[in-house]
Amino acid sequence: MQVVVDNNGIKRYLVTLNINGDSYTRVIKANTLLVKFLREEIDLTGTKKGCELGDCGSCTVLMDGKPVNSCIVLAVEADGHEITTIEGVAQNNKLDRIQESFIENAAIQCGYCTPGMVLSAKALLTQNPHPTEQEVRTAIAGNLCRCTGYVNIVKAVLVAADEQ
Amino acid sequence: MSDNYTQIGKSVPRIDAFEKVTGQAKYTADIKFSNMLVGKLLLSPHAHARIISIDTSEAEKLPGVKAVITHKDVPSKRYGLSPARWDENIFCIDKVRYIGDKVAAVAAIDEETVYKALKLIKVDYEVLPAVFDAFEAMKEGAPQIFEEYPGNINTEIHQNFGDLDQAFKDAYYVRTDRYDGQRTYQCPLEPHATIAYWEGSKVTVYSSIQSVHYLQYYLSQVLDLKMGDVRVLKTYIGGGFGGKMDPSGLDFGAVILAKKTGRPVKMWFDREDMFFNNRGRHPQFMNITTGVTKEGKILGVHADFVMDGGAYTGLGIASAYYAGALLTILYDFENYKFDMLRVVTNLPGCGAQRGHGQPQPRYAFESHLDNIAEHLGIDPLEMRIINARKPGTLTVQGFRVDSYGLKEAMEKAREISGWRDKKGKLPQGRGIGMGNGGFVSGAGYAIYRTDLPHSVATIKVTDDGTSAILYTGAVEIGQGSDTVLCQMAAEAMGYRYEDMKIVAADTDLAAHDLGAYASRQTLMSGAAVKQAGEDVNKKILDTAAEIMGVSNEELDCRDGIVFVKSNPEITKTFAEVARTYFVKNGQLIGRGSYKPPKLGGVHKGSAVGTSPAYSAATQVAEVVIDEETGEIEVIEAWDVHDCGYVINPALLHGQVHGAFYMGMGEAIWEEVLFDKNGKLMNGNLAEYRLPTALDMPPVASELVDTVDPNAPWGVKEVGEGATTPTMGCISNAVYDAIGVRVKSLPFTYEKIWRAIKEKK
Amino acid sequence: MNLPDFDYYIPASLQDACALLAEKGPGAKVLAGGTDLLNKMKHELMAPEVLISLKKLDQLTSIDYVSGKGVVIGSMATHNAISNSSLLQEKYLSVCEAAQHMANNQVRNVGTIGGNIVNAVPSADLPPIFIALGALLTLVSTNGERVMPLEEFFTGPGKTHLAPDELLTGIVIPDNSFTGSTYIKFGLRRSGALAVVGVAVAVEMDRNICKDARIALGAVAPVPMRAKKAEAMMIGNAITDELLEQVGVCASTECNPISDIRGSEEYRRDMVRVFTKRALRKAINNGHV
Repeated sequence: MQVVVDNNGIKRYLVTLNINGDSYTRVIKANTLLVKFLREEIDLTGTKKGCELGDCGSCTVLMDGKPVNSCIVLAVEADGHEITTIEGVAQNNKLDRIQESFIENAAIQCGYCTPGMVLSAKALLTQNPHPTEQEVRTAIAGNLCRCTGYVNIVKAVLVAADEQ
Repeated sequence: MSDNYTQIGKSVPRIDAFEKVTGQAKYTADIKFSNMLVGKLLLSPHAHARIISIDTSEAEKLPGVKAVITHKDVPSKRYGLSPARWDENIFCIDKVRYIGDKVAAVAAIDEETVYKALKLIKVDYEVLPAVFDAFEAMKEGAPQIFEEYPGNINTEIHQNFGDLDQAFKDAYYVRTDRYDGQRTYQCPLEPHATIAYWEGSKVTVYSSIQSVHYLQYYLSQVLDLKMGDVRVLKTYIGGGFGGKMDPSGLDFGAVILAKKTGRPVKMWFDREDMFFNNRGRHPQFMNITTGVTKEGKILGVHADFVMDGGAYTGLGIASAYYAGALLTILYDFENYKFDMLRVVTNLPGCGAQRGHGQPQPRYAFESHLDNIAEHLGIDPLEMRIINARKPGTLTVQGFRVDSYGLKEAMEKAREISGWRDKKGKLPQGRGIGMGNGGFVSGAGYAIYRTDLPHSVATIKVTDDGTSAILYTGAVEIGQGSDTVLCQMAAEAMGYRYEDMKIVAADTDLAAHDLGAYASRQTLMSGAAVKQAGEDVNKKILDTAAEIMGVSNEELDCRDGIVFVKSNPEITKTFAEVARTYFVKNGQLIGRGSYKPPKLGGVHKGSAVGTSPAYSAATQVAEVVIDEETGEIEVIEAWDVHDCGYVINPALLHGQVHGAFYMGMGEAIWEEVLFDKNGKLMNGNLAEYRLPTALDMPPVASELVDTVDPNAPWGVKEVGEGATTPTMGCISNAVYDAIGVRVKSLPFTYEKIWRAIKEKK
Repeated sequence: MNLPDFDYYIPASLQDACALLAEKGPGAKVLAGGTDLLNKMKHELMAPEVLISLKKLDQLTSIDYVSGKGVVIGSMATHNAISNSSLLQEKYLSVCEAAQHMANNQVRNVGTIGGNIVNAVPSADLPPIFIALGALLTLVSTNGERVMPLEEFFTGPGKTHLAPDELLTGIVIPDNSFTGSTYIKFGLRRSGALAVVGVAVAVEMDRNICKDARIALGAVAPVPMRAKKAEAMMIGNAITDELLEQVGVCASTECNPISDIRGSEEYRRDMVRVFTKRALRKAINNGHV
C-alpha cells in the first residue's frame, strides 16, 4: 500500500475501493473509517451513522457480499474489496425486488434504518433465497429499527423471498 | 360513508418511500454546503460544579479551529421549551448541573480538529455536592440545584375534584399501590444534527427538529432576532418520539458559530450525546389509591406522584400535568385528587417521550386495577368495561370526550386474543394480561401562550393543473404525515394523491404549524389541509360551472374529474378547469387554518389534557417466563384502537406496531443507568437495549369504528396512544404468569427472578 | 465519535508481521477484525501508535482437520466462517452455535476468533467452549512458535500471556473422546447482548455413566474459568437430574462473579447453577450441539 507523508509527518495511504461497481482511488489517513470514506470522500450518504460502535446497523454495507458495519471497518482494510452501498442496490433507477417489497408492505417509517435493513435483507436472500421467518429475524437482528417493531420489515423480506 | 372517498381510507404508498428505500433521502447530517465548518459542544464532566474560569486560548491556537464560544459569547437570556420555567442557558454561566451540561462549543475545518480542540478547552470547576435521587433531593440539607426551586421542587400540583373522602367512605374496597417508573430515552435512530448559515441579517437553520415553529420562535426569542430573520427547516428526520422537540445546544451553537465565522456550520450529537441532551422520559414514583363498589365501579381515585425531572424543566411542567390529567379519560369517575411534585436532580433534564407524562401512570393504574379486580373476584377486563367512559361525556376536570370506543375496543380485544379461554387458565409460567390507554389528538393549547392558529395550510395548483403542491408546517418525522396530509388534500380538492407534491416544515416556504408533538398533526394539520382543499374545490367547481354552463351545486369533483352529479357522463378534467382558472384569475390557491375551540375547565393547569378528540386503545399480551432465570418472552400481542376515521390503514398499523414495540422495550429492557456520581453508564445501543427483531412478537392490530365530530373526516390520533397501554398490559401478563407483581419498571429478567424467589 | 491517529501496516507474510511487531514494540497492536479494538480506541481505552493488520495473511483464515492434531482454526477465521464451517458443523456444532450467538450478523462477518480470544473480555463467547474442548493456542513470534492451553492463557480482564511481540495464529481442538459439548449464552436480549453468564461443557458418556466432564464458565470471574469441583462430581457417576442440580450448585459456588449493570453477583451465581445443569443435560442427551 502506497504511503504519502505530509510536511507534518502525517501518513496517508493510497487505497482503491470498488464501490457499487466503480473504482474509487483516494489518499486517506489510516483512521478513516469506511463509513466516513463513503459519506465524505465519495458522497454516498445513504450509509447512515447511528451509533458508531457497531450496535445499530444503520451503516451496514456489503463487503464482498457480506453485511458489515462500516463504522467499525477501516477504509484501508477495505482496500481492494467490493463494497455495495444502498445506492448500488437499485439498477438504472429500477428498484430491487426487496426495495419494492419494503414500499408495498409499509416497511418504511423514518427511513433511517432502511438502507441497512435492505442490505442485510439483500445479503440474506442472495445466500438463502427462501428463508424462514426466524432466519429473516436473525439476519436483521443487528439492524435496530425504532419505528416499525420490525413487523412489516420481516413481512416485506418474506414476501420478496416468496416471489423469487 | 368511507365508500364515497377516493383518496383517503386507503393504504397508498408513502410519498417519501422511493427516496428512503434508495438512500437518496438526505437527513440533516447528510447535507453539505461549500466552505462549511463542523462543530461540537463541550459537555460538563461534573454533575454539579461552579465554573471558576474557562480558558479557550489553547483550543483557539490549534490549526483549523475557527471559533470557540462560551457563555461570554452568547446572550444570557434563559430559555426552556415551556415558558412557565425558563431555567436554561445556551451555555452554563455560573454552574453546571449535570454530567453532560453544555459549557462551550467549537467550530473547525474537520471533525478530527473539533475533537482535538474540545480537549484543549480548560475549564476550572469547583465541584459541589450533587443529588441524584428525587426523594433525597427533597430532604432538608440536600444540595440546592437552583435558587428558584427551594427544596429542589420545580413544580407542585394539587388538584381536587369532587369529594374524594366521601367516595372512599362509600367504597366497598379501597386499595393503595405503589409503582415506580424508570428513566428511558427516545433513541431515534438518527442522531440530532443542525446546520446554520447566515445571509446578511438572516439565518437559515436546518435541524432534526419535530417543530420548526417552536425552534424558530425560541431562536428569535433567545437571540433577539426578528422571527422573519430566522428560517428553520428540516429535510428528512430519522424519528423523534419527543426527543427532538426542545431547542438544543446544537441549534443555538450552530447559529452563533456561523455568525462568528461567517461560514455554514454543521453540528451533531454522537449517540452518547443524545442521552445527555434528548430529554427522555421522567421516572415517576406513583402512589395510587382507588375506591370501588363491590361490583368494581370506580368511585374515586387519588394519584399521588413524584417525578424526577433531572436538571432542567424544558417541557417537564407539562409532563407533570399530563401525568394526572389523562388518568380520568378512560374510566368515568367523579372524585379525583392529583398531587404531583416534580423535583430537580443533577441528572440530564427529562421531557416528553411518546405518550408524554402518561405511560408510567397508566402502567401504575392498569396494574392497580388488576389488583382490585382480583380482590373482588371479577375478571379485570369485565371490571374495566363497567367503568369505560361513554361517548359524549365530560371528565371530572371538564374535558369533553365526544367519540369514544374504549368499551368496543375491549370487547374486540377480548375476542381476538382468546381472552376468555386464556385468562387465569394458562399453565404456570405463561400468562396473559391487558391494559388500556389512549391519548389526546393534539393539545388544546400551544406550548407558549399565543393566539396564533395551530395549523395553517396552503395548496397551490400548478399552472397547467396537472399537479398540486401542499404547503404545511407539519413535520414528517417518520410517522407518515406528509403522506396522509397529501391524501387529505387530494380528497378535499377532488384530486388525486398521485398528483400531489408537498413542501413541509420550512418556516419560509411552507405554512405555519406547531409541529409533530401531542399526536396533533392528523387532526389539526389535517383540519387546515381539508379547509385548503375545500377552498380549491370550490374554486374548481365555480370555474367549471361557468365553462359547463351549469350551476356549481350541480357539480362534483372526485379523483381529478369534474362531473355533473345528475349525469356523471358529462365531465371536465380537474386539470383543464384549473388551467382555465389560472388563465382568468392567476394562481389557483386554497387556504386553510385551524385553531381548536376553547377547551377545558377552569382549574389551575386546566390547559393540559385538553384536546378536540381522544383516542382509546386496548392491548392484550401473552408472555412466557422462564421461572428459573426470570427471562421473559412476549409471544403475541393484540391491539385494538379507536382512532376515529383512518386515512391510511397501512401507516396506522405501522404506528401501532412501533408503539407496542417501544412500550415493550420500556416494560422489559430499557433503562438509563447512572453511577453514584451521576455518570451515565449505558449511553450506547449495546447496553441501552432496544428490542431487536428476535425479541419482537407478532402484533395483531385491529380497529373499532368511530367518527369524531370535532375532527376532519372524524380522525383521531394513534402514534402515542398505542404506547400507553403496553407497560400495564405486560405487567398484568407477568402477574398472570408467575402470580407475583413486579412493582417497578422495567421487568428485567433479574427482577422477575428475584420476585419469584421471594415468593417461594 | 473520533478514532485517534495511528500508523498502519499490512504485512504480506507471517514473518513480516512478526518482524514488524518486534520492531514497533509495545506501542503496536495487531488488528484482526477490529470490532472490539477500534471501539476501545474511540473510547480512548487504548491508544496504540501502530496497528498491524493481518488481513493479507490468508493462511490464518483456514479451518481444517489435521490428522493426528485435531481441528485447526486460523486466528483470522471470522465468527460467521466458524459458524458456517461444514467441518465444525459435523464435528463440533457446539462451536458453531457459540459463534452464531456472538453480537450480530454484521459483527460476526468481521470479528475473528483470534480477536475474541486475545481481547480477553471476561464475557467473550468463544473461550468457554474452546476451554471445555481442551483447545490449544499457537503463538508465534520472531523467536519461534509455542503452544499453550487456552485455559492457561488469560491472566485478567483484557490481560493474557501473549508477549508484546507475539501473534496468535491458530487454535486447535485436539482429538478427544468427548461425546457431547455445548455452550449456552445467557444475555439480556436475543441479539447484540453480552453474556451475563456463559456456560460451556464437554462430556464423555458411557451410556449413563460420565467418564469425563469439563465445565467452563464465562462472565463470572476475571477470566473464563473451569469449575473443577463441579466436574469432579460428575466423573464416574451415573447421571440423574438430582446430580446435575448438585453439580450446578457446586459450580455456582466455585465461580467468582461481580455485580455490574448487567446483573448482580447473586443473580449470576444462580444463573451458573441453572445453565450448568441445562448445558450438561443438553450435551449428555444430544451430543455436540
